[in-house]
Amino acid sequence: MTGNSGRPRGDQQGMAGSSDCDVCREAVSAALDGEAGAAESARVDAHLAGCAACRAWRRDAEAVTRRARTGVVVGGPDLVDRVVGAAPGLRARWWGVTARAGLAAAGLAQAVLGLVGLLGAATHAGHGDDPLVLLGAGMAHAAHESAAWNLALGVAFVAGAIWSRHLAGLMPVLGAFIAVLAVLSGVDLVAGRVEPARVAAHLVLVAGFLLGLAVVRTTPRPGAGPSPGARWRSRPTEHGAAPEGLRAAAPTGWERESDVA
Amino acid sequence: MDDARITALALRAREGDRTAAGEFVAATQHQVWRLLGHLADPGVAEELAQETYERALGSLRRYRGDAPARSWLLSIARRVAADHLRRRARRPVAPAEPAEDDRPLGRAPQPDPAESAAVRDALAALDADRREAFVLTQLIGLSYEDAAAVCRCPIGTIRSRVARARADLVDALGEPGAQRRSG
Ligand SMILES: [Zn+2]
Repeated sequence: MTGNSGRPRGDQQGMAGSSDCDVCREAVSAALDGEAGAAESARVDAHLAGCAACRAWRRDAEAVTRRARTGVVVGGPDLVDRVVGAAPGLRARWWGVTARAGLAAAGLAQAVLGLVGLLGAATHAGHGDDPLVLLGAGMAHAAHESAAWNLALGVAFVAGAIWSRHLAGLMPVLGAFIAVLAVLSGVDLVAGRVEPARVAAHLVLVAGFLLGLAVVRTTPRPGAGPSPGARWRSRPTEHGAAPEGLRAAAPTGWERESDVA
Repeated sequence: MDDARITALALRAREGDRTAAGEFVAATQHQVWRLLGHLADPGVAEELAQETYERALGSLRRYRGDAPARSWLLSIARRVAADHLRRRARRPVAPAEPAEDDRPLGRAPQPDPAESAAVRDALAALDADRREAFVLTQLIGLSYEDAAAVCRCPIGTIRSRVARARADLVDALGEPGAQRRSG
């Protein structure tokens, strides 16, 4: 057929002239694939009734399509073991589950430390007046604050393990807290103002923080990258609407490179 | 296997289900391999299919499930084929490999006994865009809409490319009774 020469045909509504055969054949092709609208099919039928060449073309097009389709290639490589075994995402996901379990355990341990501190502060407060008041807080109240923080961090770890998508926002706070605490603990340890056992208890925090980082790294982020679905939904719907508009439409905004690396 | 099931498998694979990942690969690998054989070269289709799955499984985290997973996967395969052709065009060609010309499919190093040589040659001779549209819609079985999503082009473009591919095939395969219009 000579229809590939790209002659202008977008303005023909009826299918009366010989160049309308091109329009007709594209619609015939779409109809063979079940992709033609009802009104379009009716116009095609009207043209076919009076055009033997297009009737023959439809027969031929059907035949070549069948020949191409029935040449089914059997075989092909089996890639399942090769690609599934090597997939880093799946390994990362397994690590993610492990990290979440670890984070939950660290959270529980941290919460227990907080509760123990709370009980200790309560018994200490029962001994009467504070000998030392600093910046408006007695030792007992400082111990309460410390215990509250420890308990809150334990709860945060457990919550982060359960709702891991929200964990990322927590990490800067945790990181700052741990960094300051580490410096102060080191100073206090050298000066003999704290027992090593209490500093060692802070290691639970460090473990929780590292596990939290691992969880963040292995959690699918819903907001990461453009959504393929956005492109899907915004696709132009010229199909059926303008069967005669054969020229490719101008590239639209959604035709950008995918988010896939 | 239908698209909904394949998409469900991809989502389970994203959550770390290795069995689902295996089923996802098993359900789609033949189509991926076949598409790559037509878009790039049958001799490298296996290698490129493996690369496609490495990319796909590596970026499953970013797959959100609101597009059919099969189309998403095939669009990755398409990009792998394009990258391969670009690499091959840039690099000096190995002696055994035919230089890339406007018939990138070339001669099939792997014989496909069931697909007749005439059909294969006719497909290989098609314009690349038309061949892609034809293979996606006729051999892989995508709807025009899904093929348009894979190619990132409007549906009308797929529609006209498929029709032109058919017209070229009718000419090339010399179907008896093919009638030429003068004009
Ligand atoms: Zn006609």
